[in-house]
Amino acid sequence: MREIVTIQVGEFANYIGSHYWNFQDELLGLAEEPQGDPVYKSSSLNMDVLYRSGETSQGILTYCPRLLSIGYKGTLGSLSSSGSLNPRISQPDTLEIVTWPGNVTRYTAEPREKNIFLQSLCEEGTANLTSNVADQGSSHPQRKITDKERIECLENGVQYWTDFSKVQFHPRSLYELHGSWIDVEKFDNYGIGEEILSAGFQSEEMNERLRFFIEECDHIQGIQFIVDDSGGFSAIAAGFLEDIADEYSNTPVLLYSARSPASYKLGKSPKESVSRALHDAVSFSRLSSCCKLMVPVGLPSLSRSKFSSTLFVEDQKLFHSSAIYAASIHSISIPFRMESHGVNAESLYISGAMDVGGMVQMLAGQARQNMITILDSALPAHFLNDANNQSTILRSLCSLTPEIEENNDDLHSIESLIVHGAFSGGRRASISEVEKFIHTEYQNELPRPKLYHLTAASCPLPIPLPFPSIFNNRVGRLGELSTTRLIGAERRGSLEVESIPMAARLRSSSAVKPIIETRLGSLRRYGLQRGGFGVELLRSWGFGKEEVEDMGEALGKMMMLLDPNACGASSDFDSD
Amino acid sequence: MSLRVLNPNAEVLNKSAALHMNINAAKGLQDVLKTNLGPKGTIKMLVGGAGDIKLTKDGNTLLKEMQIQNPTAIMIARTAVAQDDTSGDGTTSTVLFIGELMKQSERYIDEGMHPRVLVDGFEIAKRATIEFLEKFKTPVVMGETPDKEILKMVARTTLRTKLYEALADQLTDIVVNAVLCIRKSDEPIDLFMVEIMHMRHKFDVDTRLVEGLVLDHGSRHPDMKRRAENCYILTCNVSLEYEKSEVNAGFFYSNAEQREKMVAAERRQVDERVKKIIELKQKVCSGNESNFVVINQKGIDPPSLDLLARAGIIALRRAKRRNMERLILACGGEAVNSVDSLTPDCLGWAGLVYEHVLGEEKYTFVENVKNPHSCTILIKGPNDHTIAQIKDAVRDGLRSVKNTLEDEAVILGAGAFEVAARQHLINNVKKTVQGRAQLGVEAFADALMVVPKTLAENSGLDTQDVIISLTNEHDRGNVVGLNHHTGEPIDPQMEGIFDNYSVKRQIINSGPVIASQLLLVDEVIRAGRNMRKPT
Ligand SMILES: Nc1ncnc2c1ncn2[C@@H]1O[C@H](COP(=O)(O)OP(=O)(O)O)[C@@H](O)[C@H]1O
Ligand SMILES: [Mg+2]
Repeated sequence: MREIVTIQVGEFANYIGSHYWNFQDELLGLAEEPQGDPVYKSSSLNMDVLYRSGETSQGILTYCPRLLSIGYKGTLGSLSSSGSLNPRISQPDTLEIVTWPGNVTRYTAEPREKNIFLQSLCEEGTANLTSNVADQGSSHPQRKITDKERIECLENGVQYWTDFSKVQFHPRSLYELHGSWIDVEKFDNYGIGEEILSAGFQSEEMNERLRFFIEECDHIQGIQFIVDDSGGFSAIAAGFLEDIADEYSNTPVLLYSARSPASYKLGKSPKESVSRALHDAVSFSRLSSCCKLMVPVGLPSLSRSKFSSTLFVEDQKLFHSSAIYAASIHSISIPFRMESHGVNAESLYISGAMDVGGMVQMLAGQARQNMITILDSALPAHFLNDANNQSTILRSLCSLTPEIEENNDDLHSIESLIVHGAFSGGRRASISEVEKFIHTEYQNELPRPKLYHLTAASCPLPIPLPFPSIFNNRVGRLGELSTTRLIGAERRGSLEVESIPMAARLRSSSAVKPIIETRLGSLRRYGLQRGGFGVELLRSWGFGKEEVEDMGEALGKMMMLLDPNACGASSDFDSD
Repeated sequence: MSLRVLNPNAEVLNKSAALHMNINAAKGLQDVLKTNLGPKGTIKMLVGGAGDIKLTKDGNTLLKEMQIQNPTAIMIARTAVAQDDTSGDGTTSTVLFIGELMKQSERYIDEGMHPRVLVDGFEIAKRATIEFLEKFKTPVVMGETPDKEILKMVARTTLRTKLYEALADQLTDIVVNAVLCIRKSDEPIDLFMVEIMHMRHKFDVDTRLVEGLVLDHGSRHPDMKRRAENCYILTCNVSLEYEKSEVNAGFFYSNAEQREKMVAAERRQVDERVKKIIELKQKVCSGNESNFVVINQKGIDPPSLDLLARAGIIALRRAKRRNMERLILACGGEAVNSVDSLTPDCLGWAGLVYEHVLGEEKYTFVENVKNPHSCTILIKGPNDHTIAQIKDAVRDGLRSVKNTLEDEAVILGAGAFEVAARQHLINNVKKTVQGRAQLGVEAFADALMVVPKTLAENSGLDTQDVIISLTNEHDRGNVVGLNHHTGEPIDPQMEGIFDNYSVKRQIINSGPVIASQLLLVDEVIRAGRNMRKPT
């Protein structure tokens, strides 16, 4: 077993993470359920890769994510930063202060109410503990909250990522950044993040917490890192990544830089637009310079994307959009936790194990030398033998990476495809069937990637209760897609859909060129024009002329490696 | 084009409104922090919306916890926090002083005086006060063997403003000894060489100084000893885990045999490294009672741990970077980055190494070292917020000792300096100043009095009585401060109430700078605009 430590930085990253851990929690629960679907019991996926066993100070055994979540102070909602394991101090108002004999002033903030979903979760927890006792004197004073109510309360009002989380976090997992009196609204650019990081002991504390999780790993395979790169958090992440590269130089980092649809709102003034463009450029070049593989994700709109053929996503709800990314990242992380049985080992439930290092090496380390990869996803994945006995999984994959070339026919692309929980003819497909179908589909695919790797697993994506109701009425109970509309609710959620087959793919392809091109263009247009507002702005973020030039050079090199013939093309950007 | 240019009257109006806004913001912040000051101040307990608790008696932590939106207040808060960053103390006093300067100015401005004149007066007063501070300070000689008593008095003064007396006094010895431990002659004091560790424990009085190091992790092998005496310490930064090299990513291997071979070869390399360490252990430990401890910054994987455990070695992995330096200072030897040239000279030594387990938290104590230049303050407390508050106080205490050693001077506290400086400004300086700037000097002098006044107020005493009796004594030539129990004048020297010279100096320097900026409000705005304009 080789451990993965997960790091989430920033609001949208934490939303994604919240769903991600809900999936894991669901898998853990389903594996334990006596009458549950055997597919979860024999998944051959090792959860210890993502989770750690521990013990609270009261001696209670725990099983928590190997996770460090970093967010802005005040964004944990009703969850205490010391996690959910330690009992909350019930009446802080009467708490004795042992260190000071003199006067005390107490400032008590309005308690943040738990929503119905979290309340019912709490009650479940205590009910489980006292179930023996409760059986006898069964006078239930409180009305039982129905699942429907729980789901509705989330659809109507998720304010924080913790509002829909059913996971227990370790006391060291949740770190709140103190920004000395920075307006959260203005926490929208690289410079401001840099400012926060430089103040006080915050980066030291982040490093110490990470060390806690890494020290206990016998053999860490990599770090899975999600950052909300739409604002100040990208600077926080970049600083952190630099420290990580320094301290754990041999541990590969797989970085997802994520954006919510909300972050795409246009700048009001020209200055704001310049600031946004430069933020994007700086954020991209800094983040890409300190990881091994970077996956930019976050479409401006999911409701107007290809995903709308199966999903009803309300773009303004982070709760909705983050679920899509979480599901896809979950799929990508499947090969990392397969028990590896050597190269040609076959299994009934899994095939194509790969560790983080292997994945990174395959996608970024080949002749192509491209570390910016595309995330594609099929959610749910089509059934294997659709109408004409052919897999259409590859064709059903849609990109979650924005700004890429749509019809790119890169002959040198390299792909890692993960298919799990796939169906074939009304039953779960065997691993060898999946392999056969996919290989055939690749044979017929034009252009064919230069290299691809397939991971297959039998275990589908379980849909936990707090998953948003975003499936449309073509999606059936087990994620099967019907051509006709199903009767019942228009929007289907965890009550209607139990699990779905998934496919997700990381793709290293020259289709990412526009991403780099745009950012390089912004740097040249605004960042190097002497006396311009952009130059001043970059300086106030701590980047002098030389640093900006270096960034431009690095991006230029990325472009060139993707397209050696067109090295002159980018000089267009010099003139306005 | 902004509106201000089109309508010059609006600007005048705005200016006065902005000025009063600044004054009010400064006063508002002063009000919040006022009750914190001194040994009779109020501790603050902040309970967050999710039940998180913060406990603080110092202005610095309080400011950082506050959600300040007013830009003026933010500016003041920044100054105060910067005060703490550079000198380690005096945050509350800074905020009070700035607030009071603004308050005193308000009176004159309302009578029609131009802020510029006041600001000129501030500048004169500031320079005079700094000069006065030089004369007023009590020099202390800090040679090879510093005067421990004076160090203790300064530390005690600070700590007693944060913690109950018995705990403050206990910590006084701890922080003084800690700083003296890490101090090397002719080198600046690096407080990072004092590790501050904490542990949950019923009693805060069990807080102690460990001459040596406490690490927050333990060995990772069940067969390794949990306690060992007479230990050689190897401090290293060497990977003792099998890392898949780039080419060895399993995926690229067509045949299993080839892959196995690669893996075996790489494993052998790691084993070689471990063996070199074991060889050194055997060299130094054979035929005697001593033990061998490896503390590694990099990882150690289970096969390596097995080998080490079988050789009777205790091994810790992923030690924090800074502990590498501390270990060398505590135990001697040198930190090695490679096992190729291991010699006994690389090794440090500790009389005792043992592990302490609390739930899933493990601690390793490296103690009884010979000539430590690094040490650990182990803070104990019943809960996180208490531990955090004690930690803040310990940091203050350490800084006060360091400051004293570096300043080679201290300042009489309990308001003595402020009263003396005021009398000096009023009696000697004011009359040398031409014109209305005199009033600026007076405002400055009166603003200094905010410290003794607030100390008196927080002690439940009548401020006016106190101020009168203090100034009377000073006029008689007696340098006195405030007895916070009785309100009577006392001799701070006799009572051992001393503040840091550098802290006071910085308060005097930065207070009027910020106050002046806030008073000359139009210039601030213009300066702010200029930054954005292309030049
Ligand atoms: N025992 C004492 N009696 C009277 N005043 C004291 C005593 N101890 C400290 N002080 C005064 O308290 C002030 C420091 O209070 P403190 O709460 O630490 O605020 P700050 O954050 O400004 O350092 C100094 O002016 C100091 O002289
Ligand atoms: Mg103080």
